[in-house]
Parts: sequence; structure tokens; C-alpha cells
Amino acid sequence: MEKKYVVKNVAGKLAKGFLHNPLTSLLGISLLLLGYLALQIMPREENPQIEISGGIVMVVMPGATPKQIDNVIVKPLERRIKEIKGVQHIYGIAKSNVGIVNVVYYIGENRESSNLKLYDKVMQNMDQLPKRTMQPIVKPFDIDIDIPIVTVAFYPKDGSKISNVQLYKNVKYIQNELNSVENVAKTTLKGEKKEQYNIQVDLKKLSGFHLSMGQIANALKSLAVNVPDIKDRTRDGKLAIFGIKNAIQSVKDIQNLIVAQYMGSPIYLKDVASVKHGYNIQNFQSAEIFYRKNGKFVKTKNQITLTLSKLKGTNAVVIADKIQERLKELNTKLSHEGIGYKITRNYGVRADEAVNELVFHLLISIIIIALLLVFVLGWRESVIVTFTVPAILAITVFVAFMTGQTMNRITLFAFLLSLGLLVDASIIVIENIHRHLHDHDSIDKDMDEILIEATDEIGAPTNIATLAIILTMVPMAFVGQMMGQFMKPIPQNVPVALFASLVIAYIFTPYLARKLLKKPKLHHHKHHFQKPEINLKGGDK
Amino acid sequence: MKTSEKFIYNILNSKFKKFLVLFITISAFVGSVMILPTKIVLAKMLPGKSANTYSIYIDTPTGSSIEQTKTVVQCVNNILRKEKAVQDVESYLGLGSPLDYAGLVKGSGFKRSENVAEIVVNLSDKHKRDEKSYMMVHRLRPVIQKTCQNIVKGTNIKMIEQPAGPPTLASVVVELYGQNSTKVRHIASQIASILKQTKGLVDVDIMQDEIYKKFELQVNKEKIIRSGLTIKQVNQILYLAFKGMDIAVKNSGNSPEQVPLFLVLSKKTKNLSTFSKHALEDKLSSLKLMNKKGMMIPVIELVNINKVNSTPTIMSKDLRKMVNITAETDLVSQVYPLLDARSKMKKFFSKNYDVRNTHLFNLQLKDKKTGDIYDLKWDGEMKVTMDTFRDLGAAFIAALILIFLLMVIYYKSFAISGIILLGSFLSIIGVIVGHWVMDIFTTDTFFLTATSLIGFIALMGISSRNSLLLVDFAIGLIEKGMPKRKAIAVATITRAKPIFLTAAAIILASTLLARDPIFGGLGVALIFGTIAAVAVSLMFVPVLMDNTKSIKDTR
Repeated sequence: MEKKYVVKNVAGKLAKGFLHNPLTSLLGISLLLLGYLALQIMPREENPQIEISGGIVMVVMPGATPKQIDNVIVKPLERRIKEIKGVQHIYGIAKSNVGIVNVVYYIGENRESSNLKLYDKVMQNMDQLPKRTMQPIVKPFDIDIDIPIVTVAFYPKDGSKISNVQLYKNVKYIQNELNSVENVAKTTLKGEKKEQYNIQVDLKKLSGFHLSMGQIANALKSLAVNVPDIKDRTRDGKLAIFGIKNAIQSVKDIQNLIVAQYMGSPIYLKDVASVKHGYNIQNFQSAEIFYRKNGKFVKTKNQITLTLSKLKGTNAVVIADKIQERLKELNTKLSHEGIGYKITRNYGVRADEAVNELVFHLLISIIIIALLLVFVLGWRESVIVTFTVPAILAITVFVAFMTGQTMNRITLFAFLLSLGLLVDASIIVIENIHRHLHDHDSIDKDMDEILIEATDEIGAPTNIATLAIILTMVPMAFVGQMMGQFMKPIPQNVPVALFASLVIAYIFTPYLARKLLKKPKLHHHKHHFQKPEINLKGGDK
Repeated sequence: MKTSEKFIYNILNSKFKKFLVLFITISAFVGSVMILPTKIVLAKMLPGKSANTYSIYIDTPTGSSIEQTKTVVQCVNNILRKEKAVQDVESYLGLGSPLDYAGLVKGSGFKRSENVAEIVVNLSDKHKRDEKSYMMVHRLRPVIQKTCQNIVKGTNIKMIEQPAGPPTLASVVVELYGQNSTKVRHIASQIASILKQTKGLVDVDIMQDEIYKKFELQVNKEKIIRSGLTIKQVNQILYLAFKGMDIAVKNSGNSPEQVPLFLVLSKKTKNLSTFSKHALEDKLSSLKLMNKKGMMIPVIELVNINKVNSTPTIMSKDLRKMVNITAETDLVSQVYPLLDARSKMKKFFSKNYDVRNTHLFNLQLKDKKTGDIYDLKWDGEMKVTMDTFRDLGAAFIAALILIFLLMVIYYKSFAISGIILLGSFLSIIGVIVGHWVMDIFTTDTFFLTATSLIGFIALMGISSRNSLLLVDFAIGLIEKGMPKRKAIAVATITRAKPIFLTAAAIILASTLLARDPIFGGLGVALIFGTIAAVAVSLMFVPVLMDNTKSIKDTR
């Protein structure tokens, strides 16, 4: 060892610093562990979270025509909302009886402050609303809460005679149960039929008894009165409580309501109307389902869909699993009641599939690359490069996890994109080590020195080249609109992966090379191991 | 010298061979760029993806009853029942289905009327079925529309697929602005019929209420007051009798909500015999109100009935009255049908209007007689595509500049930086040719997508790395005293191995991507772009290096 190689680049410094450090192996193991943990804990969902701010303002004015609504409600409201900074588009909808103004903010506007600004603006101008309008309703958009991750359809089982109302009551109970699952946010029902007493008056009988609808309405109003319990005291100062029982206990109580006297005899409600305990008949909305059973479709059935959404940034997979579990627990009760259910949407499964597919793709890609390296460089070198890939991905996943990202389609896309790029640094380092080891003057040098020199030599161009790739990703962070938001994980994660690939390549490649690679022994005597032409140009060095 | 080194050396030594390399590269570049406008390679923002679900939106004309809507839903369901891949189908009548990405922007959450319905179709797992969901939609669309759209005249049935990227109102959206609403209605229907005739466009719909007949009751104020009644009473009795009202509620312990007492006329006595003024008059004569004196007065005595047209909903965007005309694309990119439809519109409207181009593809129509102005703007996926491609284009240029600056800082030479930049830019040859080749070999159209562009941007960095390592090594050799040409040749061959290796790694890692419908563009861009980049780095860059005077012999 006549002269020691002088380290010029950070690459060489890193290689030198970690080459004999006992902590290096520990570092490697802990990186892999962190990455694995992050991969397990990181919330998974199918689509990335897009921050869309906006909302609707709805003002009801009974009996107004679209033109009136447009003039007195929509137009003034639009003008006021236009005063808010950050609003991109305002859509006005003037229907009969109701005016709706749909406000869309620029993508990237802070949601909380946007909601506040909208609410504030509407409230400030309450005094300018025309008479006869009802209180305006302001409803902000909330994608995370509004888009359910799981939907379940409940329907009567074959042969079950469960009524619409009974089905609704049961589903309502389940809604309550499932709402208590951790991180479940909003739950809604679709196609439900609510309980109601239907009093359908026969017009002919009404005129026959010389009655008006108003009389019946008044009689009913007087029947359904609830009064709180009355507290009285006895003489010796004790409480005596008595209450009036609700006059309506069953359908019969309504049926036997006396609505008027006709020729001295009472007219009961059942004489002029059919009174039934049933569901809300005025509701035109309904939901139906048909599904395969033993390969054949069953008849179309009524159903109620329960939708469940999750809180922002939580794991769709875990929540969906918990919901399914809870449903299974409730299944005995349900089938006892004659209710069957079917999960008609499960974004948790889709998210999980997407993530697992990526991990599978990654593994295949790593194996293919490893095989390639075995043939070109040798199996030891191949093992070294193959190790660096999970280490780099582990760092990237961990950083993504720490910055509050979720595992979704686009994050995975970013990882896949970086996969092709992140082995490069290691390949370049290992190839250079390989070349140096097989170089004619390697016999004269110490193994450590060769490793450090080989790493250091390509350090500068590799740094610059990787920096170049990172720079190409940076402008992508400034792509605007929805698409920019959608693609954000790419500029967020690819640079991290590339940077990690550099550090890992400089630290671990020489470290592992020292453990696994040996100088070709034959060199001492003859150079027949080498390609002859390198001998020829030996003089140039 | 190795034979391979000699090969490069010989090229550098012969002026003709150098010229040949330059000529081939440049003609390949020009040739591939020329492919773009020829529509051999089609551009689209994001291609469709095969999913396990899709939706069908049904809109019967405004004023249709839920019963009418239901018949259409049943018709669609009967067709779906014949499909092998269908697992279960949920129909939502009078309301929207549970919200999804598509429904979010298509207003599914606000649907609350008798003339709407949504159907969710769940298919068996995509890995276990042969037909891709978008192919199934493509096949079923004409069948469903042909069979079911005529049950209720004016029904619109749309097949909705989940978007691969950000959701939009529709693939093609024409916003028509104008003050004169009857005229706007007329122009909108003309635009809709042009869109319907355009190849590749389906599910054309005008987003406006249809005008239907309704009865208007005019109260006779004098008669009402003289009968000892009020207008409010008349309004209320009509509402109570025909629509019904919750009169009271009953609190109940074993019910999740208060139970209302709902009062209404029975169906049998409420329903009109026919849709006519006479039938309504008949009904109103038997409905009576009681005045203070206890006299029963038929409602018909207090009102006059007129048959009128309904007033449709008024829509506006950014304070201007607007009507949307939407259309979906059927397996094709929206760009080309849109341009097609646009030129048809220009031709069609030039008869009665002065047609003027405004911003980008937007048009302005000026009525030749009245001078009224109607603005026609494109929105929807087209706008998102334009914005995205524009932004990505800008990102690409920014990336170019950043790389160039970085190289200038590193080499302190414009010429060398220029060579590296040019070398990486030429990888576009591979990207375009790659898409062309893939389009030939795949059954579906293989689009040049936003992900292709992302791949191309990433490629810039990758191929600049190849050239950079090459240039760096050559300069290192020259500094050690090797003659320039020999140094370039030796550097090229020595660096060829890691260049090939890294390229192989990228190509192999991307083959799995290339099979993905959405990231396929990226995969293909990376695979073919890398091949082109390697060829350029190893042939074209050495020639340029030899030609430049910035790399000098030290001897």
C-alpha cells in the first residue's frame, strides 16, 4: 500500500464511515423493520385523498317559480358568494320552490377556512333574504365522509314475510351498532320505509257525512298530545306523581276517534277513512335488489342499503374488516328475523388487493432483476443489489407514512415508477467494484481501499445524475387542478426513493461487498482471468 | 482495442459514418414526431380500467311518475339478468345510489325526484371473467338503450363507468351560455343532435328540464272572501287532500323515530280518471271546505283551472345562464370526436350565425338577424385533459431547464450540457414508436396518456444519467492522457455495461407496469424510451462528443 486513496466525494465518505462500523448491520435490519411496520400500519385506501373544497347553499321558498327564485334568491346569493376569495366556479340552480347555489373552490384551498368563509358570507347576508324564505342550509362537501367505503343491502330472506317497517327498524338498529365501529364516520340509509299511521280518507264518504278534511285534521291533532308527568305533593310533603298516558296506544285508538256527530250519533274515523299502521306511503323513493343464489338470479326484492364511510386518513381495509366481523356477529339475530344481507361495495378489499398486487409486482421485479445480475455480474453481487431494493423501499414507505400519506393506487404507482430507477445507483456502484476487483492492479491494493475508491469514483456523476432525475420530478408537484392533486404522491415519493437509493448504495453496497466479495485469487500469478484488452491499455493509466 | 471499441472508434474516424449516425437519429426523431398528428398514436388523459362494478343512470323526462321510471328500470334489469358476469344488481328508484367518485361530480347525491333512478351492477371478480367491464358496457349500451329508452318517450339512459383518474361531469361537456332561454333550448338540441351523429360519442344528454303540461289553479279572491274563507285555507286543503300531511306524531319507545300520523285522501278517491281539465274539475267539486257558518263549499267554486306549460329549472354558471350538453365516449379518446363535432358545428351554425373562435376550442355564435350572442365552451374531461397535458408539458420544460442548469453547474460548459440534454430529449423517439407498436399488438386502442407523459419526464432524468456517466468517464480518461477519440470509444464501451444493466433493470421492472391499463402508458414509455435512450447514448452522444470542441485533448 504505497499511497492511500484520498476520498473526494460524499459517496466515498459514506462508504468509508460505514464499512467497518458494527452498527451498519443493525441499521440495515432496523430500516427493513421500520419499512415493514410502516407497510402494515399505513392506512390503505383505493383512491388518494383529494382535497376539494366547496359546498352548496340551499334556500327554500315555498310556492315560488324558477324565475322568481332565480331573481330573488339565486342571483343575489351568487353575487355575494363571488366576493369570497378562492372561489373558482359558482353554479346556480333555480327550481320551483328551491334555489341552490353550488360553490366550488380552487383545488388546494384549505377546506376548513373555505367552509367557514362560505358559512360566514351566507350568515352575513341573512337580512337580505326575501320574505317567506326558510332558513338557508349550508352544506360543505366532504369527500372522505361522503363517499362510503362499505355498502350493505338488507333484504327479506326467501319466504320471509317481514314488513318494510320491520326491516327498517332492524336496519336502523344495525346502523347504530355499526356506527360504533372505530373510525366509521357517516352512515346513511337508502330506500328505507319509515313507520307511520296512514289515515286515508274516502272523499265520497266525507261528503256523505257532510265533513271536511279540516275537521278530521283537527280531531287528530287533539288526540295526539303528550304532557309531562305532573308533580303533586301530599300534605306531609311527599311527592305524588301522576301522568296522562298517551291517548294513542294502537291503531284502534285512532280508528275509534270520534270526528263529529251526525244526526246525534258519533262518526268514528274508521267510518270515513282507512287507518293502517304501515310505512310512509308518500315516500316515492325505494331500493331493490336481485342477486345470484346457487347460480340463478332470485326475484327482485325490496332492500335497504346501509352506507358506511370512514374518517379521513384511516385504514379502509381495517374498518371494512371490522364491519364485516360485526355483521357476522349480528347475522343470527338477522336471520332469525328473516333478513338477509349482501355487501354490495367493499373498498377495503379493493384497497387491499391493490396493495398486495403491488407487493407481488415488486417481488417479481426484484427477482427478475436479481436473476439478470446473477448472469451478468455473479450471484454474490446479485444478492447485494437485491438486498438494497427492500431497504430503499422501506425508507420510502416509512417517510411516506411519517408524512401522513396513505397507501393508495397512486402511491403504489410512485413506488412502481421508482423501482426501475432505484436499483441504478446500487448497480453502478457494484459494477464499478466488480470492475475494480477484476482490474489488473487490484492485487496491489487493500480490499477496503478498492471498495472505497470504486464507490468514490462514480460518486460525483451518480450524485449529479440522480439529482437530475429528482429535478425532473420536482416540477410535477406544481401541476394544478384535480390531476395535480391526484398525482401528488409521485413528486412526493419518487425523490425520496431516489435519495434513499443513493445513501443505501453508498453505505450498504461496499459494506456487503466486503462481507461477500473476494478479490479474485488467480490475479497473483497470471491475468488470464481478465479481458486481454485491458492489459493493452494498461500503459495509459 | 476490443472489437466493440474499434467499432465506435471507426465511426468517430469517418466523417461519412458520423454523418450517417446523425442523419439516422434526426430522421428517426422527425419521423416519430410526425406520427403524432396522424392519429396513428391517439392521445387520451387516462384509459379505462376494468372494474368489478358499473352504474346505469336512468332519467325519464321531467314530470314522469315513479311508476313510469320503474318500468324502465325493470326493462334494464331484465337485460342484466341475462348476463353471466353479473353477480348482483341494486336499483335505486327516485334517489341516487350510494355515492362514488363518478357520482360525486355527476350530482348523484342530489337526486330526489320521481323521474330518476340509478342501478348499480356488481360483476364477478375481474380476474375470473373474460370480458373487461368497459367492453361489457360497450356491448350492453346499445342493447339497453334500444330496448328500454322507448318505454317512456324522452328517457335518457347512461352507462357510467368508474373513472381511472379524477372524476369529471362527462367526457365531453358543451357549456352553452345565452340570455334568451327559448333560443338556448333550440341551439342546445341542435348541438345534441350533432353530438349524437358524431362517431365515438354516446349517451348524449341535455342537462335541462323537459317542459311538460301542468294545471294551474287560480284562486278567485272575491268568492273566497264572500264565502267566509281564506286563501290559506284553500291552499292547505288542497295540499292536505292530494299530497297529505303529517298531522301529529306519536312518541314510541320501541321505534327508532317518532311515528307520524299521516292524513291524505285515499288513493282510489284521489287519483284522476284521466289527465284532463275535466277530471280535475270533477275531483275538486267533490272536495269541500267548511266555512265559519258550517256551510260546505266545493273547492271548484273558488278556483279556475288553466292548463299551462311547466317552467323549467334555470341553471347558471359563474352568474351567466348556462345549459350543459354532455356526452360520453365509447372506448375512444374524447379529443378526436370532439374536434370532429366542433368542425361539424362550425359548418352547421354558419348558416344562421356568425361563428367565431374564442379561447382554445371554444366558439361564439352571433345571431345574424338579432345580434344575440351565444357562447359555447368545452368542459369536462376535455378541459381536464388540456389542463393536465399543458401542466405536464410545462413540468417537462421546467425539468429540461433544471437538468440543463445542473449540467452547466457541473461541467461549466454549455456544449457538453447541451449534448446531454439533447441525448435525453431524443428518448421521445422510443416513447412514440413504443406506443405505436403497442397499439398494433394490443386489441384495444393503446393511448398516449398522462402516465406516458410522466414516464417521459422520468426518462429525461434516466437517459441524462447514461450520457452523464459516459461523458464523465471519457473526460476522466482524457485527463489521464488518452487521445480524445480513443477515450470516447473506450469510455463508451466501458460504460456500456452499467448502462445496459440499469436499462435492463428499468425495462424488466416496467414490463409488469406495461400490462396495467392505467400505468401501461408509463411502462411502455419507460421500456421503449430506455431502449431509445441506450441507443442514443451509445451512438449519437459519442459522435456529438467527438464533434464538440469543449472536450479537448490534453496532449
